[in-house]
Amino acid sequence: MAGASMNDIKSRIKSVTGTMQITKAMELVATSKLRRAREKIESSRPFHQIIGEAIGGISVSGEDLVWTKKSEAKHPLYIVIAGDRGLAGGYNANIFRLTQMLTAGKEAKILPLGKKSLDHYSHRNADILSKKFGYVSEISVGDALDIAEMACAGFENGEFDAVFVVYTRFASMITQTPVYEQLLPLESELTESGSIEPVYCGNPEEILNRIIPQYVGGVLYSTVCESLASESAARRTAMNAANKNASEIIDTLVLKYNRARQAVITQEITEIVSGSEAL
Amino acid sequence: MKAFHIEIVTPDGVEYDGEVESLLVRTDDGDVEILAGHTDLLASVGVGRARITVDGKKRFASVNGGFLSVKDGKVRLCAITFEFADQIDLKRAEEAKAKAEAAIKAANDDRDERVAKAKLARAASRIKVASMK
Repeated sequence: MAGASMNDIKSRIKSVTGTMQITKAMELVATSKLRRAREKIESSRPFHQIIGEAIGGISVSGEDLVWTKKSEAKHPLYIVIAGDRGLAGGYNANIFRLTQMLTAGKEAKILPLGKKSLDHYSHRNADILSKKFGYVSEISVGDALDIAEMACAGFENGEFDAVFVVYTRFASMITQTPVYEQLLPLESELTESGSIEPVYCGNPEEILNRIIPQYVGGVLYSTVCESLASESAARRTAMNAANKNASEIIDTLVLKYNRARQAVITQEITEIVSGSEAL
Repeated sequence: MKAFHIEIVTPDGVEYDGEVESLLVRTDDGDVEILAGHTDLLASVGVGRARITVDGKKRFASVNGGFLSVKDGKVRLCAITFEFADQIDLKRAEEAKAKAEAAIKAANDDRDERVAKAKLARAASRIKVASMK
């Protein structure tokens, strides 16, 4: 009886140790991926910021540009960046929750980036624009530009009236916040005081038509970089917690095991002693 | 000549952040040279070479895509790629050129051909700039 329970405990210790080995390995992998992803963020952040500043004040006086037209966002496009894998704490769930809040009551189209995002929205029969971008970790600058071109083309011909990107901002190693950003229409600052109109080299509209897909692509790429770093960081935190839990469980199990072993020994001694007394 | 501050950024990082005397960029409508005190300007950038002058010395670079913006005296070149001549991997560029040429011949539709032609233009620009060290 006692022997059986000892074996049970032993096999549980073994299984928890096995799980812990996996979570430990995953933590290490996430840590090294995180380091690379952070370097990428460092290099893409200035681009995101500067390109935003440069485009931010664009104005073409007197002309109603398709890119800056205010819209109610009734049938918008949401580019939803999630991870390729699970086991990253609330990383994927948080993104989907935010997106659901944003899309409530709208006829939203979704462009999922990342396997989890694709699975999530295919499963729910969402209105998906393209299923081409299944692996977020493999998205290059060129892919980001392709996506941007697709989004801009759809926006231009009225397929959707706004474009948002939903991603996870990498605030720090322990904090990652799901956020959204409006890509189109551009939020221009057309105030009465009026910024001075720049000199355009060529036809302003043509220039903007060429620049804006690149702007959207650039911003998109940097949000992908942020998301990748956030995913690794979230996974690292989750795996760290899993490791702690596993070692706690192992500790209590070992204690239990030793108690059971001692109980068996004590019982045996008692049996031997009482046996010898009976003789 | 009077120097002014410029920033050149790509999604891969800040390529240049400092004082120059002039910045010459091949825009979609021809070469544009920016000197200190330039008026506000916005131009889209194609594929081609760029040149900055620092302390009278010229440095060449290969640029691809993006735009040039001058606003309130702030000069920014946001490009998709930007490589100074000494950063260019000539061997890789030549391989890319050969590949692109083959792809143009093998192209089935307009889109394939357009993509391959753009690749060829980028490779050709790199090769040309690499010789201007």
